[in-house]
Amino acid sequence: MNPSDYDLWQPVIGLEIHVQLQTKSKLFSSAPNRFGDEPNTNITDVCTGQPGTLPVLNKEAVHKAVQFGSAVKAHIARYSCFDRKSYFYPDSPRNYQITQFFHPILRGGVVCAEVAGSPHHFFINRAHLEDDSGMLKHFSSFAGIDYNRAGAPLLEVVSEPCIHSPEEASAYAKAIREIMLYLGACDGNMEEGSFRMDVNVSVRLKTEEGLRPKIEIKNMNSFSNMEIALREEIRRQIDLYTEHPTILPKELLFAGTYRFDPESKKVLPMRRKEEAHDYRYFPEPDLVPLILSEEYIEEVTKRLPELPWERYQRYRELGLTKDTARTLIDCKPLGDFFHASIPWCHNAKMLANWILVEFTGRVQSQGQTLQESALSPQYVATLVNMVEEGTITGKIAKNVADEMLLYPTVDPRTIVQNNPDYQPLADTSFLEGLVVQVLKDNASSIADYLAGKQRAFDYLVGQVMKLCKGKASPSAVHALLQDKLREYS
Amino acid sequence: MHTLSALQIHERFMQGIISAKEIALYFLARTKKDEGLTDAFLTLFPETVLRKAEELDQRREQGLPLGKMAAVPVAIKDNIHIHGELTTCASKILANYRAVFDATVIRRLKEEDAFLVGKTNLDEFAMGSSTEQSAFQKTKNPWNLACSPGGSSGGSSAAVAARYVPLALGSDTGGSIRQPAALTGTVGFKPTYGRVSRYGLVAFASSLDQIGPIANCVADVAYILEVISASCDKDSTSLRTSPPAYLSILQTPLKESRIGVPWRFLDGLSAEARSNFEEALDVLRGLGATLVEVDLNLLKYSVAIYSILATAEASTNLARYDGIRYGVRAPTATTLHEIYDLTRQQGFGTEVKNRILLGTYVLSSGYHDAYYKKAQQVRTLLIHQFQQAFSQCDLIAMPSSPLPAFPLGSMQDPIQMYLQDLYTIGANLAGLPAISVPSGWSHDKKPYGLQLIGPQLDDEVVLQMAYQFEKASPENKQIPPLFDKELL
Repeated sequence: MNPSDYDLWQPVIGLEIHVQLQTKSKLFSSAPNRFGDEPNTNITDVCTGQPGTLPVLNKEAVHKAVQFGSAVKAHIARYSCFDRKSYFYPDSPRNYQITQFFHPILRGGVVCAEVAGSPHHFFINRAHLEDDSGMLKHFSSFAGIDYNRAGAPLLEVVSEPCIHSPEEASAYAKAIREIMLYLGACDGNMEEGSFRMDVNVSVRLKTEEGLRPKIEIKNMNSFSNMEIALREEIRRQIDLYTEHPTILPKELLFAGTYRFDPESKKVLPMRRKEEAHDYRYFPEPDLVPLILSEEYIEEVTKRLPELPWERYQRYRELGLTKDTARTLIDCKPLGDFFHASIPWCHNAKMLANWILVEFTGRVQSQGQTLQESALSPQYVATLVNMVEEGTITGKIAKNVADEMLLYPTVDPRTIVQNNPDYQPLADTSFLEGLVVQVLKDNASSIADYLAGKQRAFDYLVGQVMKLCKGKASPSAVHALLQDKLREYS
Repeated sequence: MHTLSALQIHERFMQGIISAKEIALYFLARTKKDEGLTDAFLTLFPETVLRKAEELDQRREQGLPLGKMAAVPVAIKDNIHIHGELTTCASKILANYRAVFDATVIRRLKEEDAFLVGKTNLDEFAMGSSTEQSAFQKTKNPWNLACSPGGSSGGSSAAVAARYVPLALGSDTGGSIRQPAALTGTVGFKPTYGRVSRYGLVAFASSLDQIGPIANCVADVAYILEVISASCDKDSTSLRTSPPAYLSILQTPLKESRIGVPWRFLDGLSAEARSNFEEALDVLRGLGATLVEVDLNLLKYSVAIYSILATAEASTNLARYDGIRYGVRAPTATTLHEIYDLTRQQGFGTEVKNRILLGTYVLSSGYHDAYYKKAQQVRTLLIHQFQQAFSQCDLIAMPSSPLPAFPLGSMQDPIQMYLQDLYTIGANLAGLPAISVPSGWSHDKKPYGLQLIGPQLDDEVVLQMAYQFEKASPENKQIPPLFDKELL
């Protein structure tokens, strides 16, 4: 097939993202909502579906859902309900899931994300609360079920089919994850399954109006895998339609549920549409409708934490470059560190640079993150201020930074005071002596300088700095050198 | 001692007239004699009761505080959890299931020092109106051992009628407390939906289920209701308001009350049942009540609505019995699908399977709107019709059941069995408080029951009227001759 033929087609993609909400307890029980513990330790009678138990809704999960709704300007339902979704599977303790099918808590909403450098708007169809299943574990001769996750709160965010490329899908999903992180609604840990994506994908000729049959690829837990899966599936569908132009699409595409195999990087069928479950949704009679007051919604909206695009805007106003601002937004812990430092610092650009380059580099080489490193945002700001004021040189500042990692509770001003080597060279006559010495020893460089070579000047500065062990302020050295060189011209 | 009410037993214990141990030994001996006679009980707890009795006697001696129901023997329907004891729901699938917590009502009874004597028989998962659907045994009616004690709380109604206990708890989804009470000449009360916590009641149809008492007099119903009807944060549908002091309100007579009768709906009553009902209405008139006719013609759909909604909910409530986590797993199953199929095939009885199948069908895609959704709509209309009726009257009177006790094995047609609940289902669909009080006798000396239904939250009004009716018709309160002896 001619590669340009692919351009005749438009992929149509919709995402269903399962966001595990960070709450103290589960959605309908008081069991801890925590990952990684011994199997079947974070469970109550409700989590294993004991007869006679009843669900009780967790208000914290509702609060996080409303925060998300407010952040994406969704319509927050004043009245929403829970429904039973029936299917038999051992990890489902009641053999029905409690979800919101008929009346979800959120409808609509919009998310902005950059695709290839320009902003793009994506639309949310709905988001609803539901409880997670347990996990099956297969051993050589038997299978076990861990109900620790059973009942964990999920917010399922369903997009409109408004996504038209794997890159857009990724950008949209990343934006949702970022919002959740900023709200503290989800830890965003994709390896642990806190953020899982199902995609629905079909293709159509760009000239077509309607939609062709779609397939669903379930449970992808990395953005790159999702992009690979989508690329592969889009190509497969286009090839299929191109090779069989006379067969009706619905007879051609094996509609159903697929999964992505990260090993082989292939999209593999799970079940056909005919084998699809009939979930037999109906209202959950054990729960009363969830009614939210205007005051409650207003209060949540008013107290919303700063969102990624708001922070980005603010950082741009502080004079950071697009790239620096973006880096601080994308890695929320870095942004949070910067956020905590900035009230103490006069130079945002320099501060960002020190955090992103110097300190990040130092903690990473110790296998840590900034957060783990006990470094104080205030002291980092102090160090940057000292450089900016000319109290110390950049070179000394780097040494001070090394010591700050060793003694994170000591003020960098104290570190500098306690070390004579870090004291700035205030004695001009001593410095003058050094300059005279350097000029005497480097006659050829003087000649080069006089011949117009800037590099020769830089070399001379370097020599002076070397002699004074970096303690002189570079501007003072510049001034002195220029002054003395005039005598040679 | 068998003629005493629960309140009288408690008072005598508190006054030091009898010891808790005497009470315990007496009722334990009485229940033990039952084996093979009525088969009301599935399990008995003689050791626990005796231990509790000794503790209560000691506490009384030492002048320590004693609970509101100290030394009152209570029987519990075997679909309500007592921590550590079996809760079988009279089903093979839960034959080995031990409760892992106390139901809220049990916690309350324990806190108030009641004797939990044993667990009573029921139709499997409370699905039935004769207690014949129990996987373990058939309970007999103390008035006529060839007859059913009604159902599904037939074990509880038989135990109370035979004076094995003065009080029992049942559950009522479509009449499962009131119909067996009527058939055994006892008093059975289904409170307003949400008045009593369902936490620890094994669910049949969650939007209809309600725990309630069966007793030999209205005062004992009020007595236990004060203990079990506390608000419960483990049941989201539990009422958040505190219950009134039912027992003291009981004494306040109702003045100039209006009683609604849906005459058109009662067309199908047999001559004997009708004349019994009319006599009961005369008693109410004699108490100063005015009778008004009310329109509840939608009640003719109540069995149909119930058959759809109750089975739909049940099909999901019973989905958890899959042999994976607890209960009896089919021993021959080797694959996951065999575990599901064989466990449920062998574990559930026919009636339960019928209802699961029906419930699954009415929720299926393509049928959901025609059945489930339509039934919900009619349920809403019925609720409105009840509200309309209550704008004209304070209480509604109806028979509790179309027939007095029927012979065991006589009702083979399930539809005929479902019609047993024709007069009781309405109160469940609308969440209303409703009581059955003894109202007289059939030609062959089987009890009839009068049903009084009140508006939501008017539980005490229902109890007040029932109490007056009971006082005005003492001839209706009798003990089955076979059991009317101090020692059986």
